[in-house]
Amino acid sequence: MNQAGTADLLLAIPAAVNVEQLRTAATEAVLHMSAVAAVGDERSLSGLRAAVVYPGLSGTPETSADGSVHLDPTGTGGEVRFLPFAPPATSSVIPWLGLSTTYQALFGTAREMGVTACAVIAPDLAALKAELLKPLLAPVLDGSFDLVMPIYPIGKFEGLLNSGILAPLTRALYGKRVRFPLAPDFSISGRLLPELEQPVQRITSQGKTLFWPATEAALRDRSICQVYLNVHHPAAADGLDLSTVLTQTVGPLFAEMEVNAPLWQRVRGSQPVTTSGTPPAPAADEATVDVRSMLETFALGFRNLQEVWSLVLPPVTLLELKRLTRLGPDQFRMPDDLWVRIVYDFALAYRLRTLSRTHLLGALTPLYLGWVASYVLEVSNLRIHEAEHRIERLARAYEEGKPYLLSRWRWPDRFNP
Amino acid sequence: MKRSGSTTDPLWYKDAIIYELHVRAFMDSNNDGIGDLQGLTQKLDYLQDLGVTCLWLLPFFPSPLRDDGYDISDYLNIHPNYGTIADFQQFLDQAHNRGLQVLIELVINHTSDQHPWFQRARHAPKGSPERDFYVWSDTDQKYQGARIIFTDTEKSNWTWDPEAQAYYWHRFFSHQPDLNYDNPQVLEEVLKIMRYWLDMGVDGLRVDAIPYLVEREGTNCENLPETHAIMKRIRQEIDQEYFGRMMLAEANQWPTDVRPYYGDGDECHMAFHFPLMPRIYMALRQEDRLPITEIMAQTPSIPDNCQWGLFLRNHDELTLEMVTDEERDYMYLAYSADPRMRINIGIRRRLAPLVDNNRRRIELLNSLLFSFPGTPLIYYGDEIGMGDNIYLGDRNGVRTPMQWSPDRNAGFSRAVPAKLYSPVVMDPVWGYEAINVEAQQSDPSSLLSWMRNMIALRKLFQVFGRGTLTFLNPANRKVLAYVREFENQRVLCVANLSRFAQPVELDLEPYAGMSPVEMLGYVPFPKIPRHAANQQYPLTLGPYGFLWLELQAPVVGMGDDEAIEEPEIALSGATDWKSVLEGNGQREIEETVLKDFLPHQRWFGSKARTIKAIKVTDWAAFHEGGSALALIDVSYASGDAESYLLALALTFGRAAEELRQRHPESVLARLSSIEEDGVLHDGLVDPGTVEALLALITEAGELTSRHGNIRGVPSTILENLRGTAPLAPRLGSAEQSNTSVIFGDRLILKLFRRQQPGPNPDTEIGRYLTEYAHFPNIAPFSGSIEYKCEGQDGSTLAMLQGLVANEGDGWQWTLEELDRYYESTASRALRPEHMPPARPSLSRLSEEPEPALAHEHMGIYLSAAALLGTRTAEMHLALARNGMSAVEDPSFAPEPMTLQDMERLRDSLVEHAAQAFDALKENLSRLPDAAVELAGLVLSRRRAALDRLRQIAGGEIHALRTRIHGDYHLGQVLRTKGDFVILDFEGEPARSLAERRAKQSPLKDVAGMLRSFSYAAFSALMRYSSRRPEAFEQLEPWARMWEQAASSVFLRSYRESIGGASLAPCEPSQFERLLEAFLLDKALYELVYELNNRPSWVRIPLSGILSLPL
Repeated sequence: MNQAGTADLLLAIPAAVNVEQLRTAATEAVLHMSAVAAVGDERSLSGLRAAVVYPGLSGTPETSADGSVHLDPTGTGGEVRFLPFAPPATSSVIPWLGLSTTYQALFGTAREMGVTACAVIAPDLAALKAELLKPLLAPVLDGSFDLVMPIYPIGKFEGLLNSGILAPLTRALYGKRVRFPLAPDFSISGRLLPELEQPVQRITSQGKTLFWPATEAALRDRSICQVYLNVHHPAAADGLDLSTVLTQTVGPLFAEMEVNAPLWQRVRGSQPVTTSGTPPAPAADEATVDVRSMLETFALGFRNLQEVWSLVLPPVTLLELKRLTRLGPDQFRMPDDLWVRIVYDFALAYRLRTLSRTHLLGALTPLYLGWVASYVLEVSNLRIHEAEHRIERLARAYEEGKPYLLSRWRWPDRFNP
Repeated sequence: MKRSGSTTDPLWYKDAIIYELHVRAFMDSNNDGIGDLQGLTQKLDYLQDLGVTCLWLLPFFPSPLRDDGYDISDYLNIHPNYGTIADFQQFLDQAHNRGLQVLIELVINHTSDQHPWFQRARHAPKGSPERDFYVWSDTDQKYQGARIIFTDTEKSNWTWDPEAQAYYWHRFFSHQPDLNYDNPQVLEEVLKIMRYWLDMGVDGLRVDAIPYLVEREGTNCENLPETHAIMKRIRQEIDQEYFGRMMLAEANQWPTDVRPYYGDGDECHMAFHFPLMPRIYMALRQEDRLPITEIMAQTPSIPDNCQWGLFLRNHDELTLEMVTDEERDYMYLAYSADPRMRINIGIRRRLAPLVDNNRRRIELLNSLLFSFPGTPLIYYGDEIGMGDNIYLGDRNGVRTPMQWSPDRNAGFSRAVPAKLYSPVVMDPVWGYEAINVEAQQSDPSSLLSWMRNMIALRKLFQVFGRGTLTFLNPANRKVLAYVREFENQRVLCVANLSRFAQPVELDLEPYAGMSPVEMLGYVPFPKIPRHAANQQYPLTLGPYGFLWLELQAPVVGMGDDEAIEEPEIALSGATDWKSVLEGNGQREIEETVLKDFLPHQRWFGSKARTIKAIKVTDWAAFHEGGSALALIDVSYASGDAESYLLALALTFGRAAEELRQRHPESVLARLSSIEEDGVLHDGLVDPGTVEALLALITEAGELTSRHGNIRGVPSTILENLRGTAPLAPRLGSAEQSNTSVIFGDRLILKLFRRQQPGPNPDTEIGRYLTEYAHFPNIAPFSGSIEYKCEGQDGSTLAMLQGLVANEGDGWQWTLEELDRYYESTASRALRPEHMPPARPSLSRLSEEPEPALAHEHMGIYLSAAALLGTRTAEMHLALARNGMSAVEDPSFAPEPMTLQDMERLRDSLVEHAAQAFDALKENLSRLPDAAVELAGLVLSRRRAALDRLRQIAGGEIHALRTRIHGDYHLGQVLRTKGDFVILDFEGEPARSLAERRAKQSPLKDVAGMLRSFSYAAFSALMRYSSRRPEAFEQLEPWARMWEQAASSVFLRSYRESIGGASLAPCEPSQFERLLEAFLLDKALYELVYELNNRPSWVRIPLSGILSLPL
């Protein structure tokens, strides 16, 4: 990717992609956005010189695409160039998640090209349409914000790992109410890019995998906004073992907690993030979910993992879990504060290496399924927006429980209640 | 190949936790009985888990080992006992991989006598470059001023070398010849050694025995300027060629003497604070915080990129060089009952045995180590409470093998015990079977676990490594309390030095409204109350207990409803001052907002009074409606009401959030409007507001207030002074009762916070001296903002002056000069014939020449004091000029001093004096021992003093009353290049305006300055002798000589410059009588002030009173 020249915008595709589809979609989206902006006198989008970077240099025929340029026929000066790159050898088991090594390469290129904005687009290219790209890019291109994160329309039973752990934990730790902290589509300002190189490099050098853009922006007190993005990516973890998914997502989040402890320990409460766009119309109510197998896994976990759990969880939590195992599906409800304390205690055990980290996250799996079952049972009769309120309540519970985390983190005495 | 350092933060050492270890003592990997680098590498996981961030390795170079490795025979290699260069490189890489920095020794004062350089030098001819690597002499009589450091073993700093047929110089053992830094090749070789290790990736160098690098005849051969030049050169090389490396100085000296080793941030990055260590132990044993607070008070500030190194124990003895003889005796009695525990001038024991293995004491001391300003150092083994072996020689008792486990040889080595370099500690209490890492790792309640938690906690807060330190002074001296602050982090540390529980009440007024949160368990404590003036914050601590409390500011606008206490005012738009200062907003402002805000402002003079009511009396918007000037009346539960001036501004949106972050103290209230939320805040933190105030003056603008008007009045010189270039504003920091804004390097705007109707003397005199009298030695008056309201005298809201380039105020400059004076006289006893008189008459002072000794030691200060006398006289002549001109301003017209004036003055002086004597009598029992005798003498002269004052009105006096400075002392003048500028004509702020504007004898100012000389001489003496108590008695006559000489030249040049003007009495006896009366009055005023505020300083005014011929 040397001598890539300069550009206003870098569209970065972090994982394997259909090149033809990419060329068509990117050219159409960028040039259309540029042309419409020229008519509407939107200077930040008019005459955009965009570069599209995608994984393609591996001896495959895609190398022929190197340097191809598509000019805007309307004469606005807009152009799109395609630049394949050799992706790092390592790969994620979760295909839509870019790895820190990939981001390191992409951000380096973006900086070299002196871009005003860099948009990372999920490899399914669902967001690569002018009407979606524009809201994702405009706040960064016009200089109002440094990071734009999407809010996807999801059903009430979708994205539960995000809603139950990733989003509320990130929010409680770093104080910004970002709904999808690990979204595969987002955009970053050219101002913020140089500041991200060091954390990406650190994450990579420490052998960790995931990069958390909202966390890094929040830590630097950079401006973040969210846009409603009517994109529906295929379920990310379909077909994957849940323990593996937890290890690959929650593990890195716990690992970052250790690195950022001096910072998140001084964040209190949370701030809303400016959100623009219109929430898409709610989808039709989803079919009900059968939670019996989840509850069975939870009960089985309680029987088989007690010894492990007792290394991580204090007696009062174990007692509450024991009570839960006696409840039938009608009554089974895991209180928010209990779930929050469980997550916090696992985060602490991760830091202290109380047991092997893989085993630790494996031991979290039945507990997570217990929470999912409880949540599903609770919201099954609710509308989508009511379920969203329920998620908000959980996020507040994470914030309210943060002193518990702080206390445990700072003085990790096992002789506790 | 040059390797980069291991950190990205160049100031990493400020946040570091250093672990000091001997390679020899840590872990033996090859079972030869001696620890080695591979063994150390094996234990890196342990060190990482402990949480330390930097490893300091004691010397590991080839050496005959006659001084524990500090006698180096090859700087570029590893002692074969410890491994190879490859082993070191592997260790370094492994440490860096774990995020650990590595600090090694750079012993550059001397080498071993086995070093090839020395062997070569001995055999080289005299004068050859090889010979000149060391310091040689044909006689052992050179450099006699240098003390012998190892008095137990060495009789001279010179040793005869039969091969060289000359003496060689050594400050330490005779087998450690000193390198000769007068030979440039030596420094070049040292730089090569330094580069060798830094190229390898070493992060820091601990530079041994820094003060002794260079020798000069006629000096004590310590801390010489040439030594600093060498250190600067080494630092320059490091900065030019490397990033993120650190140099740590070993200079066992007083903090003020160590300070020069930081240079201007261009010598050493760090230096150890040696005198703190024994005082921590002393404070613990005496259950009194004073030893600690005193040494910290003597600790000078250091450049921002520098850091103190702190430790409780290290590889040497607990050194008692930096304590007085009495303190040393106490320490020996308290901490070394067995004489075998003593060595050189110190105690050779480890931390845990020193405190009788009491876990609470160990924890308390570590809590101090971790929370004091500096980088803490942990000596290996102290994290598990290892003991020592006082039966081993030298300091080997604290250098025994690390105790890893209860296995053979404490898990340190598998060698047969007889092969160990040192026996392991084996007694039942301290032995490795009782105290070892393995046992403590499996015990969550062990000292090791506690240390690990504390280290992790400290690392969460940069404030501990980088913050400022402010001691609190609770009445209970068994409790040490201090606040550390850095950026938005504030931590209150409270430590009980006593073996019993202690109550304490803390004055946390500056932190009112904040929530203390105990940091170890994140436990919220009761909020510091906002509205309770003088209310103390009570705490109780268990035996040897300590608390670290994070002071959390209230969280606003984050949905944390419980924390939101800030009042909110609703506006209709961005300039809607009416909603703020009238109607509902006014009620909120008066009843809530200002009652919270005022007591936290430095300029608010009535913090101790209870506010009854506040009323906004008038206001005017400016700066396009974004800012407003408001006048408020504050009434109190008792006493007179006061008026104050506020400059307010409204800021919205993101700018408001940024302002909250940058200036949280300036915020008065939240604002809510339809468009955006914002804050009401002190406008002086907003550049736009202060620039608008400046424009109001420069453009002679006018604002209409609700009940009057506000006018900007430029002076005739403003246009020239202002220039045309933009002037960036910044808030001044020195003001107490007013607030200043500085514009570039040209102007300073002073806002008079306390408002009184009538002309402000500062403005009035400033304008007069600049525009009428053209007196050049003041800050030129450039304009003012005047307020006029119907039915009331006008008042001055603000004054603009030219900014004067200066070298600091006269007080600070004088103290620095006095430091030099005492330094040069400290070693000279004043012979009886040179003793200054105890009570010299003023006529003798102003007529007799100063002693030659004063000229010899006071340097330029004598001529400066003379110049100050001249400038003072010129100021008085200028203030009296009005009487000699056709254009007369009655408020400046001099008036003859009548008999009635003298009688009024007499009555007032006698009344003040009687009150002061009464106060002294009442406080006699509370005075420090050293002052009681003086106080008794002063009380015995009460009648004589009062009689003396009564005599001043005994007859007619030929002198004038004029406007005077009114509050004249060294702090009111600025030292400029070779001259003085006189400041602040406001008078004593506590007095009424009428009193401050009254015409008085100029001799009152003269008396003020003479008393200031006395204060300077004795406060500098107290400061100097606080670290050398034995010097006080010897220097006291020198202090008197200084005071009398400075007073003498000041008075003489004052009188010469006044000449025949009738300002002051021409008749010498009248002059003397009046001046003495003012001197006595001033000294008695000081006495009352010190009795109320600083009883330990009461000696100064007492001595001043006794020095008057009563």
